[in-house]
Amino acid sequence: MSEVPFKNPGWAGNTGEFDLDEDQVRGDDFVGTRPREGGHPSGAATYPYMLPEKHPDAPLFEGEHKERFDKILTRYPNKQAALLPTLGLAQEVRGHVSPETMDRVAELLELSPAYVRGVTTFYTMYNKRPVGRYLVQVCTNISCNLCGADDVMEAFLRYTDTEIGETSEDGEFTVVEAECLAACGFPTCVQINSRYYENVTPADVPKIIERLKAEGAGGD
Amino acid sequence: MADTITLTIDGQEVSVPKGTTLLKAAEKVGKDVPHYCYHDGLSSPAMCRLCLVEVQGAPKPMPACVTQAMDGQVVSTESELALDMRRGVLEFYLVNHPLDCPICDMSGECHLQDYVHEEGRDHGRSREPKRVFGRDDFGGDVLFYGDRCVMCTRCVRFMNEVEQDQRLCVVERGNRSVIDTFFERGLEGTHWHDNIVDLCPVGALVSKDFLHKARAWDLDHTPSVCPSCSQGCNIELHTRDNLVQRLKPRENLEVNAFWMCDHGRLNYEWINHGERAEAPLVRDQGGVKAMGWKEALTLLVARLGDVEGTVKAVASPFASNEDLAALQALVESLGGGDIVYRMPRAEDEIVLKGFPTLARRRDLAPNGRGADLLGLRRVGGDDGTGGLEDVSAHAGVVIVLGDGLADQGADFASGAALRVHLGTRSGPAVATADFVLPITTFAEQEGTFTNHEGRVQRFWPALNAPGLARPAWLVLGALVAEGTGSETPRRADEAFARLVAAHDAFSGLSYDDIGTRGAVVNDTVPLSGD
Ligand code: SF4
Ligand code: SF4
Ligand code: FES
Repeated sequence: MSEVPFKNPGWAGNTGEFDLDEDQVRGDDFVGTRPREGGHPSGAATYPYMLPEKHPDAPLFEGEHKERFDKILTRYPNKQAALLPTLGLAQEVRGHVSPETMDRVAELLELSPAYVRGVTTFYTMYNKRPVGRYLVQVCTNISCNLCGADDVMEAFLRYTDTEIGETSEDGEFTVVEAECLAACGFPTCVQINSRYYENVTPADVPKIIERLKAEGAGGD
Repeated sequence: MADTITLTIDGQEVSVPKGTTLLKAAEKVGKDVPHYCYHDGLSSPAMCRLCLVEVQGAPKPMPACVTQAMDGQVVSTESELALDMRRGVLEFYLVNHPLDCPICDMSGECHLQDYVHEEGRDHGRSREPKRVFGRDDFGGDVLFYGDRCVMCTRCVRFMNEVEQDQRLCVVERGNRSVIDTFFERGLEGTHWHDNIVDLCPVGALVSKDFLHKARAWDLDHTPSVCPSCSQGCNIELHTRDNLVQRLKPRENLEVNAFWMCDHGRLNYEWINHGERAEAPLVRDQGGVKAMGWKEALTLLVARLGDVEGTVKAVASPFASNEDLAALQALVESLGGGDIVYRMPRAEDEIVLKGFPTLARRRDLAPNGRGADLLGLRRVGGDDGTGGLEDVSAHAGVVIVLGDGLADQGADFASGAALRVHLGTRSGPAVATADFVLPITTFAEQEGTFTNHEGRVQRFWPALNAPGLARPAWLVLGALVAEGTGSETPRRADEAFARLVAAHDAFSGLSYDDIGTRGAVVNDTVPLSGD
């Protein structure tokens, strides 16, 4: 689908004079391609589809991530305003936002660590604890719920052999509940990393998991 | 006046300056609209929704804390709609509240208790289990009971806006939100954090020092002035069983606004110190005799008449203006002499960033400025010791007022013809004096201190004095009266009037003018009664 003309939707992206190309902007360490179904790649906007590995101790920030961080800073009137994208970038690098990460981000942006903690915990899309390679977010809000989200949820937990919020032993899967994913027309909606799976039924779950495992093992 | 507007609140007309909020305007007609997030010393986020009132013409109830009064507006703080809204809000506050008033330190002065009692429902309808946070140590003097919190964020805003050290935050969101520090990094190292305990409208933030010590309704409140530095923060002494249980700041926008520092707040145990000098002690042919005041003062007057030589005196910056002036009058009546005092000093000032005219000053006593204005001389080092070689070697009369002489030995002023000590406690250097006269602390007498900027501020007696202890101005005044044949001052305001008559710096001041707010020396003084 690389013919689809790519227009970066704005994540530290190529607006203005920013001249990194798209791969650099997103990091080129994706496993697999971005959404094969669903067409437009903008769904991959904020969180890479898959990271091969997370580095909870990776430095904040270095190399191309440093460039992206500097770019983020130029786009906001002050450092405080750059907090959300900086946390996003930190999560991309480290996989989750740990207390140490909050502390480091506070230092980078000259904010108080307590303030950064308050902001980080306010938003559910920052993982406060390590998650598996695949973060499975099942919408259990009203529309999906009426159409059987609870069963989908149960199926994911059963096939990954985890409890809500726990990571499977092999480190592959973390299944959580999500509030409305804005796909109410296609219940049940499940977001796995940055990718949407729509109209999911319990019967689809083993197939999805098998495919993810296969992708993870060999790439494609 | 063009900048004044007139509106009607609950049927009463009231005129207020433009820009006044409905909450403040309602206060003027004597209505206290319930509020949590609003505080005079902080920003107004209008987030607690407890101050909803009905404004005629407005499509919905308005938060009184941020809605500005407008000319001709008709406001009702007690209409069915307003009461109904607030009843609803209060019911929500109680959904997760543990209702543990019997073991809560705030009980009796808690705004949730008060408001629910005033206008809440008489029973709750929630049947869901309550969420539980438990208790957390925030460091410093502060304990946090998360379940009692009403999320007004006053504490967070105090740390952000006033102390300007952002140690607190709201963690999580919605039903799960709770106040917290950055993990284990608490309030240690901040110097004003106990103010969040005062700000907290409920019992969520409590003082470790005061924990389970006394019930609010058992405490007597006495207006006073903090004796721990020369800022002179206005405070209240909260007492029970003739003991100070805690100190609380008292509002005075000219001095400390609503705040006080942790150093001052927690430095009160010395007032309760049990071992006090309780009766006049007179040394006579090797023995020491306790006796009544009349006898002791008669003997002292006789001795003062007999001895030869000049006077040297040591005073204390913890003594009131009245005490110091009385000492000076006595020294003068004996022919005059040098009066010195010693001042313990801190390394630095600790400024409150959001209200920079308030600082924990370097002078760690309340009345150094008063002593200076009265012409006393400061001696000794920054630790409040030394500097008394002169006095100690003096051969005439040595009078000590209030200085405990902790750094001096039993041979202090051993060559003096007569040694008189007015103090609250004994000690090696005190016990050897010819006369030891028990005096009261500031908490046991009426008087004034002069703070670093020259503001004379009154304090009132909160405790009964032990034994025969009397205010120093009374004892010294009696001695002066004996010697000069004048009247003994009977009340603190009389003692103050004598001070004013004798010292130009204080001219024009009187207790009435000073009131509870203080008055600056050599300044225009507002006439009493307005
Ligand atoms: S702890 Fe007290 S001051 Fe802080 S938000 Fe809760 S109720 Fe308000
Ligand atoms: S700043 Fe000074 S006067 Fe005020 S509370 Fe602290 S020690 Fe007391
Ligand atoms: S006091 Fe008005 S909304 Fe809180």
